[in-house]
Amino acid sequence: MAAMTTPVSSVCIVGGGSAGWLTAALIAARHGTPDGGGLKVTLVESRRIGIVGVGEGTWPTMRNTLRKVGVSETDFLRFCNVSFKQGAKFAGWRTESPDDFYYHPLVLPEGFPTLDLAPYWNAQVRDDAATPSFSDSVCFQETLCEHGLAPKLITSPEYGGVANYAYHLDAVRFADFMAEHCVTKLGVHHIIDEVVAVEQAEDGDIAVVVTRDHGAITADLFVDCSGFSSLLLGETLGVPFRDCSDVLFIDRALAVQVPYDDAGAPIVSHTVSTGQKHGWIWDIGLQNRRGVGYVYSSRHASGSSVEAELAAYVGPAFDRLSPREITIRSGHRATFWKRNCVAVGLAAGFLEPLEASALVLIELSADFIAASMPATRSAMEIVARRFNTMTLYRWERIIEFLKLHYMLSERDDTAFWRDNRDPATIPQALQDQLELWRHVPPGEQDFSSAHEMFPAASYQYVLYGMGFRTDPRFAAAALRDPDAARDAFERNAALKRRLAATLPTNRALLDTLARHRFQPV
Amino acid sequence: MNLVQLSREHHAGLRIDPARAAATAATVHLVRIVRSEIRKAAAHYPLFLIKDAETGEFHLAALMGLAPHENLFWDGSTIDAAYVPLNVLRQPFYIGGEDALAGVICVDLESPALDPAGSCAIVAADGSDSRYILQVQAMLGDLARGQAPTQALVALAVSLKLVVEITLDITFDDGERCTPAGLYGIDQRMLARHHATLPDFETALDLSALLLSLEQVAGLVRRKNRRIADEAAWFDPGVRTPTIAA
Repeated sequence: MAAMTTPVSSVCIVGGGSAGWLTAALIAARHGTPDGGGLKVTLVESRRIGIVGVGEGTWPTMRNTLRKVGVSETDFLRFCNVSFKQGAKFAGWRTESPDDFYYHPLVLPEGFPTLDLAPYWNAQVRDDAATPSFSDSVCFQETLCEHGLAPKLITSPEYGGVANYAYHLDAVRFADFMAEHCVTKLGVHHIIDEVVAVEQAEDGDIAVVVTRDHGAITADLFVDCSGFSSLLLGETLGVPFRDCSDVLFIDRALAVQVPYDDAGAPIVSHTVSTGQKHGWIWDIGLQNRRGVGYVYSSRHASGSSVEAELAAYVGPAFDRLSPREITIRSGHRATFWKRNCVAVGLAAGFLEPLEASALVLIELSADFIAASMPATRSAMEIVARRFNTMTLYRWERIIEFLKLHYMLSERDDTAFWRDNRDPATIPQALQDQLELWRHVPPGEQDFSSAHEMFPAASYQYVLYGMGFRTDPRFAAAALRDPDAARDAFERNAALKRRLAATLPTNRALLDTLARHRFQPV
Repeated sequence: MNLVQLSREHHAGLRIDPARAAATAATVHLVRIVRSEIRKAAAHYPLFLIKDAETGEFHLAALMGLAPHENLFWDGSTIDAAYVPLNVLRQPFYIGGEDALAGVICVDLESPALDPAGSCAIVAADGSDSRYILQVQAMLGDLARGQAPTQALVALAVSLKLVVEITLDITFDDGERCTPAGLYGIDQRMLARHHATLPDFETALDLSALLLSLEQVAGLVRRKNRRIADEAAWFDPGVRTPTIAA
């Protein structure tokens, strides 16, 4: 049993997917030394279990995460079949019409937050229905996406861009890439073995994980990255799972990998999310293939109609593909750090990949663990409380933001979409926000925590993209500088013209990167 | 541009006008240099690391103007500096082929420098290579041999994090502002931090020369302001006559 003053000198991470290796990298980059001195970081993973590997979309935060752990962006792009992602295009969410779409780009609205264009745009669209969409009026990135352009040039530095960007990556390759980096550069001890038992000390702390061939592994802190099984936090420590399927109905995924027609086929530089009868289809373009999947509510759909919808989306190539069905549980653990065990990744919880929240939560969690690494067992109690408060807040905000996408839909074709509008399924905090946003656009005043997930601008993109309108009459104070607003709209238009003429296509830049590198500066 | 391999068989009668050859630089604001030129060029031009638009790789260049197509050293007939980079002097000849060191010399048949009345011949009266073409060959040889050491120097500077983007924010006498982008140079603080670990004195000298050459930006601005004043005088001859100013 560990005394409360026992120093924390070793960390054992159980599980080697994106969660395990990102956590290992962030902890080792901060606390380890290449020769194994400093905090001892061990990662044990089973080759038999494999990784779920459908988390393929990142946030722009991943650039800083990779830079921080000392990875070259060029190496990462090459090895993990990465392509650039500039946000998400939501098609068929508001209506079933084939031309219904809006963007949630990664670039903030022009002038935001010093100048908020939302009230001006709302006033304009009230007076002139032919006003271009919100995302197109206030942000140049939609134009780049629609033209399949990259967010940067070969002359841009590593991790720097002309437009803000994230990545689409091959999660299996990513785990291998990070493993190699962790072991060779960051001094992480890698054990490939089956975990056959988890043993607790008398006080309830996890004492050891017992492996089949390597015996018992002790550590002062255990990080549970075991995936859906939540082997340490859920199974061993008995932390209950909080189901949120009453808000978010998705509980199944049917995933396929779709090859490109030819090696020169365009690579879409954003995630495409297309509304279906009982859910939506993600479409993520990597360098070598697309990852496509239908996430749906099994309560609303039968399996067969789902496969037919996915087949119709993919086209004739679908007949040669073997779709993989994944059962998912929307929700998260009641707490995330208990005793000397913290869960990161799927072991902490899962939500549909609508806003690519999985990898960013891993980054944020691992970064906090690394930054707040408790020096002693007693300090761990304090850090754990903070971690739990912060992480719970983040899950709640993500759940609300995902629900926002559904609750504003005008689709009436299935019970799935109608049920999503049922107020009983909408968290009260979100209903309250909507009430305020009828008269005042989302702004900094709505997001006061240091642990916010989505900026006010993201809410604007989704709200106005889904057809929600803020009554500009109540925003008179915000409409007092029409010249500044006109300047900003014109700047955006000028940026569209200039960048569309200078940026290469996503495919062209990725092809160039096969032969050349980004410079570090 | 129409590059063909230079051969005695086809080009024995070729004549070059060196003045017109130099004039091809009149509208060039960046001229690539190799490592062996750094210390000579640094006395006259600000030297920068520039990224190749196709490959993103750094190369070395002398900055001769503050806007594309502007060469502030061109005085109408010659490059007004005591050192002229090899890449200007070698015009209209190029190194061709995949392997620069294999030394295939090419000539641009569309170059305005090709002139039947030009003063420089390829072949001398006795049938041997002219002194002129031997000089060109020597320059092209220097350029070809200079590639690897230049790349090595750049790679070293990048790996030691000596390379930083240089932001120039210039306001000319007429109030116009100019902020040329994409220029990289040596960071003095980082050079100071790493000077003890540089492989040799030659490297220290070359990197220091690159750093010190940034002082030549002031000379470029002075030339630009003089050009602005000359142009103003041209449009308003009563104020000042450009011939006197020059």
